[in-house]
Order: sequence, then C-alpha cells, then structure tokens
Amino acid sequence: MEGPVESIYNLIPRAIENPEQPPRYHSKFKPVVKNELKQNRSPNKTMGPAKVAVPTPGEFLKKRSKEPKLPEKSTFEYSDEVVRRPPVPRHDEKPLLGIRTNKNFINTNAVENIMSVTKKPLPKYVDTRNGDNSLLDPSGLVPKYTKKNDYGEVPDYLKKRNAEVRRAQEEYNAYIQERMKQGAMKQLTGMEREEIIGGLKKNWEELHHQYQGLSVVTDTAPKKNRKERMEAEMKQLERDIELIEKHRVIYIANN
Amino acid sequence: MSAEDDVPRLELLSTIGFNGLVNGGLIIHPDKEHMVYPLGNTVIVRNLNTNKQDFLTGHTNTVSCLVVSKSGKYIASGQVTHMGFKAAIMVWDYEKRCLKYQLILHKVKVEALAFSPNELYLVSLGGQDDNSVVVWNLQTAEAVCGSPAAVQSAGTTFTVKYASNSDDLFVTAGDGTLRVWELDLPNRKIRPQECNLGQLKRIVKCVEVDENDEYFYCGTTSGDILKINMKTKFVANHGPAKGKFSQGIADIKILKNGNLLIGAGDGTLALVNGRSDKYCVIKQGDCKLKGAVSSIALRGQGHQFFVGTNKSQIYRFNLTDFKEDLVMSAHYQPVLDVAFPLCTSDLVATCSGDDIRVWHTCTSRELLRISVPNMICHAIEFMPDGHSLISAWNDGKIRVFLPESGKVWYVINNAHNSGVTAVAATSDSKRIISGGGEGQVRVWDLTINPLNQKLREAMKEHKSSVTCIKVGDKNKQCVSASSDGTCIIWDLINFSRKQMVMSNTLFQCVCYHPAGFQIITSGTDRKIVYWECYDGNQIRELDGSQSGAINGMDICPSGRQLITGGDDKLIKVWDYNEGMVTHVGQGHSGNITRVKMCPERRYIVSVSRDGAIIVWKYPQSC
Repeated sequence: MEGPVESIYNLIPRAIENPEQPPRYHSKFKPVVKNELKQNRSPNKTMGPAKVAVPTPGEFLKKRSKEPKLPEKSTFEYSDEVVRRPPVPRHDEKPLLGIRTNKNFINTNAVENIMSVTKKPLPKYVDTRNGDNSLLDPSGLVPKYTKKNDYGEVPDYLKKRNAEVRRAQEEYNAYIQERMKQGAMKQLTGMEREEIIGGLKKNWEELHHQYQGLSVVTDTAPKKNRKERMEAEMKQLERDIELIEKHRVIYIANN
Repeated sequence: MSAEDDVPRLELLSTIGFNGLVNGGLIIHPDKEHMVYPLGNTVIVRNLNTNKQDFLTGHTNTVSCLVVSKSGKYIASGQVTHMGFKAAIMVWDYEKRCLKYQLILHKVKVEALAFSPNELYLVSLGGQDDNSVVVWNLQTAEAVCGSPAAVQSAGTTFTVKYASNSDDLFVTAGDGTLRVWELDLPNRKIRPQECNLGQLKRIVKCVEVDENDEYFYCGTTSGDILKINMKTKFVANHGPAKGKFSQGIADIKILKNGNLLIGAGDGTLALVNGRSDKYCVIKQGDCKLKGAVSSIALRGQGHQFFVGTNKSQIYRFNLTDFKEDLVMSAHYQPVLDVAFPLCTSDLVATCSGDDIRVWHTCTSRELLRISVPNMICHAIEFMPDGHSLISAWNDGKIRVFLPESGKVWYVINNAHNSGVTAVAATSDSKRIISGGGEGQVRVWDLTINPLNQKLREAMKEHKSSVTCIKVGDKNKQCVSASSDGTCIIWDLINFSRKQMVMSNTLFQCVCYHPAGFQIITSGTDRKIVYWECYDGNQIRELDGSQSGAINGMDICPSGRQLITGGDDKLIKVWDYNEGMVTHVGQGHSGNITRVKMCPERRYIVSVSRDGAIIVWKYPQSC
C-alpha cells in the first residue's frame, strides 16, 4: 500500500544545518613562491643596473615635444565641386536683360515646312459604309507576327531549358549507371513491375469484393470501424498502384 | 467557587490573536519597542524584540477602541456592551501594566478616544446610540464636560483627534459632521464649530492633525482626502480627483516631510504627496494586503511602520523599500477546533471560518494555511499516520488535505446532508468516523491504493447534531456526543449501539478515559460526568463551572488529569481521581470552544470564539 509522500511531521521547522566548511585552502607552492619572491627582489644587485646610453645635454626635453603631432592644415574641398551646378545668383546680382535673337522665325519655319518631305497617311481600314475607320496597324488584320524573322523557330529560352533538362537527365542516368555498377541498386524489370501491379490490383479487388459485401446499415461501432478500416486500406492500395504505374523505371536500393 | 481563587494559576506562554476590526487598534508604543493591540476583551502589549506579551484585562466585552498617550504613559481603551448598559473606558498605567482609572459614562459603545498632547485630558466619543463627546480630566479621573457629538440631523460620529500642541482643541468627524471643538475650562464647556464642506458630502472615517495645528487631514469612505484649515474651518483642498482609493480610506498617518501614508479598504497601502492638492501616489506596496487596512502604526518617526488589517494580519513595512513583511497573523473568526498531530507538540492545527491553519507552537508562527472560501470548517483531526489532515465542513463534505502542500487529497462528497460537525479517525488510519448535523454517525473505510472511500455504515440513533466523536478500545468502539442529550457508545465491529447515556443537557464534549472503561462527558449543564462504559451507569458528577457551558475537554494519556474550558472563559485542570481543580488558566476573552493537551504534555492549547489561540504551559507539578 502506497501512502502519500507528505507528512505533517515534515512541517516542523528545523534548524538549518550548515554543512561544515572544508578546511581553508593552502597552496603547497607557498614556500617556493615566498622564497622566489625573496630571491628575485633586487636583481640589479647582482648584474648592476641596465646599460643604456647616457642622455646628451643637447637632447633636453623641449617645450611641447610630448604633444601629439597633428597633420598640416588643409582647406576643405567638396568632392563634387567640379560637377556641381553654378551657385544660385546672389541677391545683388542682376541678370542680363534686353538680349534678343536675330533669327527670323517666320522665314525659317516656312522654309523648313516647304523643304520637308510629305508625311504618308497612316493606313486605315473602313468597316462601315458610312466610312467609319480605324487604324490598320494595331487592328490585327495585317499579318505581322508571321512575318517576323524567327517565326516558327523554337525560342532561345526553350532551347536553353531543354538542353538543361536533358543534361540533368543525363547526369542522373550517369549517376544511376554508376550506382548500378557499384551494385547499390537494381532496376525493377517490366515483368516484376507488372507482377506487383497485378498483385496490388488483385488485393484491391478482394478488398473491394469484401467491401461490397458489407451490410448496408452501419449502425454499430464495430461495423463503422470495419468500414472505415477497409476504406482506408483500399485508398492506400489505390495510392500504391498509382505510384507504381506512374513510374516506368523503378530502382530499388539493395540495402 | 471561592476555592478557585487560591488554586495555582496556569502559566500563559503565548497568545495568537489580533482584533483587526478596531480602527486604529494597532499602535506602536512611543518607546518603539512595544506593540499594543486589542484582542477580544483584552489589550495586549507585546515586545517587538522578545515577543513577550503582557495583558491588560478588565473589559467585560469586546474592546472597540484603543489609544496611547503621546509620551506613552497611559493607554486608554473603550469597549462595547449590550444595549441599555454603560460601556466603560479603561485608562491603564503603561509602566505598571495595571488599571489606573475606569471611566463610565457612555452608553452601549465607546467609539473613539483621544489623549490631549500634554496628557491633561482624555476626550471620548460615544457610539451611535450615545452620540456624545466627553472630556475627562486625567488627574482627577472625572468628567470635565460633555456635549452631543453632532447635530440631530447628522449621522454617526466615528472619530476624534486632539490637536498636536494645544490641550483645548480637538476634532470630531463622521457621517455628515466635521467639527472643531474648543475647550473652555473655566466655564466647563466645549464649544463646537462646524467645518464648512460646501457641496461636498463625505463620511469621514479618520482624522490626522499636522504638527503645527494648521491643517488636519480627513480620510473618507469615498476614498479621498480632505485637507481642512484648523483656523478658518474651510476646506483647503481635497483629492485625489481621479484614482480615489478603493473602498475608502481607513487610516492616515502624516510623516515628518509632509507626505501621507494612506491605508485603504481594498488592502492598498500608499505613500502620497501631502503638499500638493493632487495627492499623487509616490510609493505603493507591490501587492494588496489581505483584508482591509484598519490601522497604520508608525515606529518612531515612521522609518518603519506596522499595518493591521481586518483579516487579523499585521505587516511590517520599511519606508525606503516599501515591502510588506508579515509579522503576525491570526484567526479573525471564531476558532472552532484545534488538533495536535499524534506524536509532536511542536505543531498545532486550528480551524476558523473558512480556513485551517497550522502553527508552530513555540514561536506562534503560521506554517500552513488552507482556505476553502465561503465554507465553515467545524472540526479537524490529524490522521494518526500524519499523512493527512481531515476536516469537517458545513457543506456536508469531509475534505482531506495533504499536510505539507495543503492541497486537497480527496473529498468525501455528501458525507452528511446537513453539514459535517464532528470527525475522528481510527489509530490504524484506515477509517474515518464522522458525525453530522442531522445526527448520523457514519463510518468510512479508506483504501489508499486505489484511492477509495467507502461508506461502511451509517448509524442513525442521534436526533440532533453530533458534537464530538472519540475512538476507543483498540478501534473496536467509539463514542459520540450529541446535542440531543445523549451520548452513545458504538460497536465498530457489528455497527450497533452498545450503550447509551442520557442527560438533560446538550453534550459538547466527550472523552475516553485512557484505560477505556469510563467515559467523561460535559455539556451545557456545566457538569463533568463520569460514566461506566460497560453498563452506562453514572459514576460521578462534578460541577465543572459556575457560569457557563463546558465546550472543550481533554484528558492526559495517563488518565490522571483532565482539562476543561468553556463559556466561563477559564481553563481548568482537574485531578481525575480527586475531582478537584488543581490549576486555573485565566486569559481568554471570548467563550472557549475547544481545549487540547499536547501529546508530550508540554502545552495546553485553547481556542475561543473571539479568534484567539492561547498556549499554556502544562503544569509540571502534577
């Protein structure tokens, strides 16, 4: 008999037992370190002070010599100074006034028109007897696309894509061949494939026969369950048949 | 019984209880080391460091107001009485912890009290039925003068506060009345001046006067603060206009820097800016306190303060971090039962209203609280194996709780159709025996794996509610006491009645003598009766009390001592063989409902209707 884990006696407040502290850590290298410190205390007593060149009197510390050296001052230039548009006129600048052109616009326009080639009228078609017309070119009555240079040829993009597909298929075939050579997989022969399909169809037939033999009324839970199970199995078989029929070539991994 | 006066007293170890319903009842004494609070008819002075409690007893009914003078020399407390009687004010000497004066003038209830700053006068306010203000001279203990507290059309006056510096200026406030009084000593008159509130209609629950006597602040039931000029008697400002304190302001305290501490009825405690008229909240407690705040007590200048709520909780706050810290909790409803686990004295469980609490007996600390809202727990019992706590509820269910987490382990639904009133368990923890309000005693078989409770037998003999059930004689029989005046010994093998004793009383409690041959009963006839189990003959009858029914009884494992407690508010220790009172415990202020002895004979615990739990030292001499 298992009782609950809780007990009233656990509620009694207990004095918290502090776990005994481990003894204080003392390094075993302490005497060594102490000794070394004592020994290495005044190294220049053995070798004498380091030998460095004595400063010459000319090299005294000069005023501001310890300040950082700044680069020379340069005037700031905008990077787009050249391409920039001329500045906005100042408020006291006056624009040049009274400049007039000597061109005779009347004459030149007349001469230009006289000399110009006559515009051809746009071809039109008339579709009622009242003379209602519209432009011929966008109407589609004139064969335009059949006159194109590349009419009837496979377009470039399709060519490119077909080539890509072919190349991928070849690569895949090559890979399969290689694998087949290595013995990693085998191809299902047509006979075997037919056999599998036949077997699956037979199974389906049997199941379907049983299904047809079910009672019309599914009034109890077991009947309902059985019907649902059979439906699910048939659906699975149909899916399998479809899968195998869809693929002409089937490889089977050996492992 | 005059003999009771010279029997030795039981030593009182501690009490657990606080009457949080008294507004401003929790006070920190000016010496900063003691807390003063009411509990039922007594006023308790408790040392904050050592938790030592002193009791100021003398009131004949519940204490309704409590105040400590400015220097801490005096404590004054008022009480309620029954309609038509006069309610006393007691003035206590703090140093000697004894009664100094008893002032009787008010009728039915003393609503509020206030000491003058130089402790010359005490002003007292009568309740709704009395409606008068009386000024008392503290030197002579005589009334100086009195006056009706408010005009006839106004409602009850709730509070009175003296000015901080002047001995002849005080304020009363209440429902539709707000008055500043001036004392005219040569003419023995007090003259009121009504404050002009204009359009405002407020019920003022608390008043606090600032230290210069310029303004006073009133906390209202609408949840806002009125600041009133003491000289002009006009409202200086009132607020907050938006976000008023929910369920009204129950207490206000002014800090040195002018900020106000506000305690609200929904348990909110907030520090508000008292210098602007917006009264915006500066600090607020993280969560609401349990119950409505009824009193705020500053310790010294207010760096630390204590808050009491009407759910009898006392919290401690530090002004800087404003985090609550539960210092003391107690029952706020009548305590109906008490139970010890089988083999420890350190824990005791009590039930009151809708909650069951488990206390640490030595420190009076609450260890566990189990609440089932809106129900009443009538009885509790620990399963002897200590793995569960059985409780009997008025909705007819027996709820069994896990004792560490306090979660419900299983519930026996519909155990009794008019509430379960008594419950007991057999010592092998395989049976629960329950008694109901309709008078049935039912035996439940328990299996743990699988968890199942089966009704073994329903024994229908009692005509009225079963008050107490005890199991005896190696679980082969049990005894049930009922308020129909019978006590039945049941056979727990054949589930039949073995023996029945009858008396002209409502039996409240029954005990097996440890030897198993006798039962002891007690009830409203104030008699302690010994009965023979075998044939149901009465052996002996003792007068248990002179005045009130005996509600609780317990017998020590050796069978030599018997303890009883009842409506006479006394705990009595009896010598079983002699039939004499050996010790008397005085300290309860409400009717004692149950009394139990701890298993190791170190303590006696008694509980009473006023919500108090008292732990007594078990007398070692016997």
